[in-house]
Amino acid sequence: MTKTDENMLAETTTSADEKPPTSTSAQSTAANDNQPEVVAIHIDNFNAFYGDFQAITDVNLKVPARKVTAFIGPSGCGKSTLLKWCNRMNDIVPIAHASGKLKVGDINVLDQKTDVVSLRRRVGMVFQKANPFPKSIYDNVAYGPRLHYKVSRNDLDDLVEWSLQKAALWSEVKDRLHKSALGLSGGQQQRLCIARAIAVGPEILLMDEPCSALDPASTARIEDLIFELRGQYTIVIVTHNMQQAARCSDRTAFFFEGKIVEEGATDQVFTRPQEQQTEDYVTGKFG
Amino acid sequence: MLGENSHPASDFRVRSSASSKRWQAAVVAGLVFCSLVSLATTVGIIAMLIIESWGFFADDRIELWKFLTGTKWTVGQTQGELSYGIWPLLSGTLRITGIAMLIALPMGLVSAVYLSEYASNRTRSILKPTLEILAGIPTVVLGFFAVKFITPYLLGYLGDFKTFNATSAGIAVGILCLPLVTSLAEDALRAVPTRLREGAYGLGATRLEVTWKVVVPAALSGIISAFLLALARAIGETMVVALAAGSTPTFTLDPRLSSQTMTGFIVETFKSESVVPGTLGYFSIYAVAAVLFLITFGITLIGQIIRLRYREVYD
Amino acid sequence: MNSPLKQELEHRSEQGRTRLSGYFAVTCLLVSSLAIVILATLLFSILYTGGSWLNFDFLSGTHRENNPEESGIGQAIIGSLVICSICGLAALPIGVGTAIFLEEFQPRNRFLRMFHGLVQLNINNLAGVPSIVYGILGLTAFVYMFGAFNSIKVNDQPDYEFGTSYYYQVKTLGDTFVKFPARKEIHATFEIRNPIRADRANGESFLLKVFSRSDDEKKFENDRSSAVFRGVLANLETRDDQQIYVVQTMDGSEVTFPAQPSYSSFAKILEPIEVVGPDGESFQLNVLAKSDDVPSDEQLKARSVFADSPDPKRRSSASIFSEPTPLHFHLPFSKSVLSAGLTLALVILPIVIIASQEAIRGVPQTLREAAYGMGATRWQVVRGAVLPSATPGIMTGAILAMSRAVGEAAPLLAVMGGVLGTTTGLRSLMDKTPALPVTIFKWAGDENAGFENTSAAAIIVLLVFLLLMNSIAIYIRYRYESPATK
Repeated sequence: MTKTDENMLAETTTSADEKPPTSTSAQSTAANDNQPEVVAIHIDNFNAFYGDFQAITDVNLKVPARKVTAFIGPSGCGKSTLLKWCNRMNDIVPIAHASGKLKVGDINVLDQKTDVVSLRRRVGMVFQKANPFPKSIYDNVAYGPRLHYKVSRNDLDDLVEWSLQKAALWSEVKDRLHKSALGLSGGQQQRLCIARAIAVGPEILLMDEPCSALDPASTARIEDLIFELRGQYTIVIVTHNMQQAARCSDRTAFFFEGKIVEEGATDQVFTRPQEQQTEDYVTGKFG
Repeated sequence: MLGENSHPASDFRVRSSASSKRWQAAVVAGLVFCSLVSLATTVGIIAMLIIESWGFFADDRIELWKFLTGTKWTVGQTQGELSYGIWPLLSGTLRITGIAMLIALPMGLVSAVYLSEYASNRTRSILKPTLEILAGIPTVVLGFFAVKFITPYLLGYLGDFKTFNATSAGIAVGILCLPLVTSLAEDALRAVPTRLREGAYGLGATRLEVTWKVVVPAALSGIISAFLLALARAIGETMVVALAAGSTPTFTLDPRLSSQTMTGFIVETFKSESVVPGTLGYFSIYAVAAVLFLITFGITLIGQIIRLRYREVYD
Repeated sequence: MNSPLKQELEHRSEQGRTRLSGYFAVTCLLVSSLAIVILATLLFSILYTGGSWLNFDFLSGTHRENNPEESGIGQAIIGSLVICSICGLAALPIGVGTAIFLEEFQPRNRFLRMFHGLVQLNINNLAGVPSIVYGILGLTAFVYMFGAFNSIKVNDQPDYEFGTSYYYQVKTLGDTFVKFPARKEIHATFEIRNPIRADRANGESFLLKVFSRSDDEKKFENDRSSAVFRGVLANLETRDDQQIYVVQTMDGSEVTFPAQPSYSSFAKILEPIEVVGPDGESFQLNVLAKSDDVPSDEQLKARSVFADSPDPKRRSSASIFSEPTPLHFHLPFSKSVLSAGLTLALVILPIVIIASQEAIRGVPQTLREAAYGMGATRWQVVRGAVLPSATPGIMTGAILAMSRAVGEAAPLLAVMGGVLGTTTGLRSLMDKTPALPVTIFKWAGDENAGFENTSAAAIIVLLVFLLLMNSIAIYIRYRYESPATK
């Protein structure tokens, strides 16, 4: 374990040196833009409905791998709906259906024959409100691995520690792993939920307004965490908070009334928006 | 650099999702089986009542018409002529239910109104648990109370009551239904939106007027459904009447006399253990139970329908 | 403006209306307080009647006929506990399973949706069915199993049985009891005690009815061709290479039914046999002829019986008894604790289902989303996320349902009859047992002075039970009310 610790430390420091979380660096985005881009999620002519109501109309989007993509836009613009379709969370809603193309890697998400279980193993999700299970911290993190893997007790212990460290929670909870997760603070609970999602070993992490229920200090910690996870996971984050999108994302898509109005590198969307609606929104004229 | 390959889980053997799905299918089959038990209970009750009371009505000595209209019941007695008119038992049930409803409905409604519209938190915190305890008292205990307390110490001073009589059983059944009426009616009253009350107060109505002219009418369907459920409960009540109402079926309006009910007859037959399967006495239990079931099931169903309709209005 | 309401308003003074409202509030308070008065009177009268009768002997004793002072409720307490355990073990899994199905597996398929709706409607209606009707259902479905097994019932011994052994028991001249194992055989005669299925000469199959000789003749005047008196003997005959019993009905017509090996109630002892004595040692039983003298040696007396003879003073007849193991089981369940427990399970099933549904509905949707989001199947979501949160609520509901079951008397009377005590105690699930509510009922109806007090004392014990169960329920609700389940 010590080796991983060192690695992690090294990793964290280098990325912190390279790119402090508080400043959006145009140069790194530009550098990435020059490389051949790997597309993690490929969305083509996508339409989503709740019953007769069309929530998303004709969306086309390529979400780049191992970068942070932010979905912004006013309430009810369809950004959460799109996010939930990426791992078929909308299956729980009986009246939800969709058409078009939505591919995660080589998986055709909308195909009814697609195995939702292995899709969700590869596409993890963090929710608006921290939702730890009423179990111990350990069991919360171990929940996903136990579902998906045949794993020995020792490996599981290692995995739980590794995930909690990734989520920057290990030092705070290592002495009370077997206490109820409900005793943690709101921010800790949300980081636990991130650890729980990472433990499964996903390639993509979907985050649905992960900080909207947190105080500013906890929000900052989660934002730091998102920044650290960048480069290892493809992260899609839905947020109401434009500063948050500006702080921690590489690319931003602006949604309005079920359509993508504008999509591009984050600093470009925020500083030189191409569309009037985007400019109105990012400057706070509505929303 | 730690990449995705360094994730510890990448070495683990993945559980096949097919096996967890097979497991889930087995579990769902088990759950459907559980649900079938409750369905089978209803089917079992109905089938049993039809098949076994057929043994009663198919008997050469029995005419359905006389069963439904006759005013004398001697089934189960070894001596004398066989009479099998349901009315003495049915009227016994109705007499006792009538007395019980005279107590439970007004008292229950007034208590519900008090709890929902008037009571302070303090009185509520005393009254609610009292009613809950009263609701949890086993019916056989109330039967004991009726025959050992209500009859000798309460009715003894009021008139010439027999040891076993309809009034004392009726009072005990009323006590039993009181918490049921109160809690269901209170739920209905509380479901009335506050804005209706505020509207009426704004016009200068007193609390009494708001209660009776606005809240109660608005909650009427819920209150009626509470009354119906209590009615079904009273008709089906067994142990109180078995102890306090006596074992003589009478066709009368006199509340001082012994009055065996439908449930009382059934229990009396079981208690004596004299009934052998295949005989008329045995089949008569099912015939009486069929009438009892039809009445209570009908009332419960109507109560359900009224309550469902009422729910639609407010949600 | 001339409002049509104006005149009416002038007639109603505002002070009068306010005063009326005040009076009504007072009336309301008085009426509501009646509940407290009733409860206090009830508890006081019971404590007053029964309180002084509570002691250890009462709690451990059994019912004694005409002797309230020495009667007790030991068997009834054990009986109630066993019945409630069976009831809980049966109702809890089925009830929770149904609730999970209704709440977590709402199907998209139209046919299954209908099934779903039907089950839900049905549960709400079952909750309103009187418990005595469940009792009759228990009698039909568990005790007799719809008559599926009692085509022939010989001396109440069921056809499908294991976990018990039958012995004949005989009293020796030394007044000790010895026993020897019984064997099933086809007897030369068969005593008809219960209705059985029989065939007429023309091949018609019908139910042979049984009447008591003391019955009024009018009861069976129309049944003469298909009825016999209880205790009539049928004779064994061999027809077409088949052994059958032949008996004449009341009108003299001959009916038959197939012979099956059975135990007979009594055995004749004609020659020396191997027996087991009271201490467990086996020896050869010494059989004396009618004319022999009774031996004077006590040891020999305890090993001797007279051979079967017409002289009632010098006759030894061995009667059958069974020694069940705790695993004793048979079909149908007959009048047994198992029947009683299962019947009560049906009574509380709707309550358990409704309470579990409410508990499951209280689990926040976010927990389900979390588990789904990690790739759990529906069942994994239920097991890993929903059930752990809903368990305190389910347990509270289950305990409250059990406290309803503990007080139910009517279904027990239907399936076990009014049992007040058994000589053997509870040996297996196939035995009858008294239970607290039935004991209370029978004692309350007993006219001997003193049983009123024992009844009240038993009520106190029952109420203490209920109080305990409710306290546990309240404790669970308080202890596990976690922020996630709110």
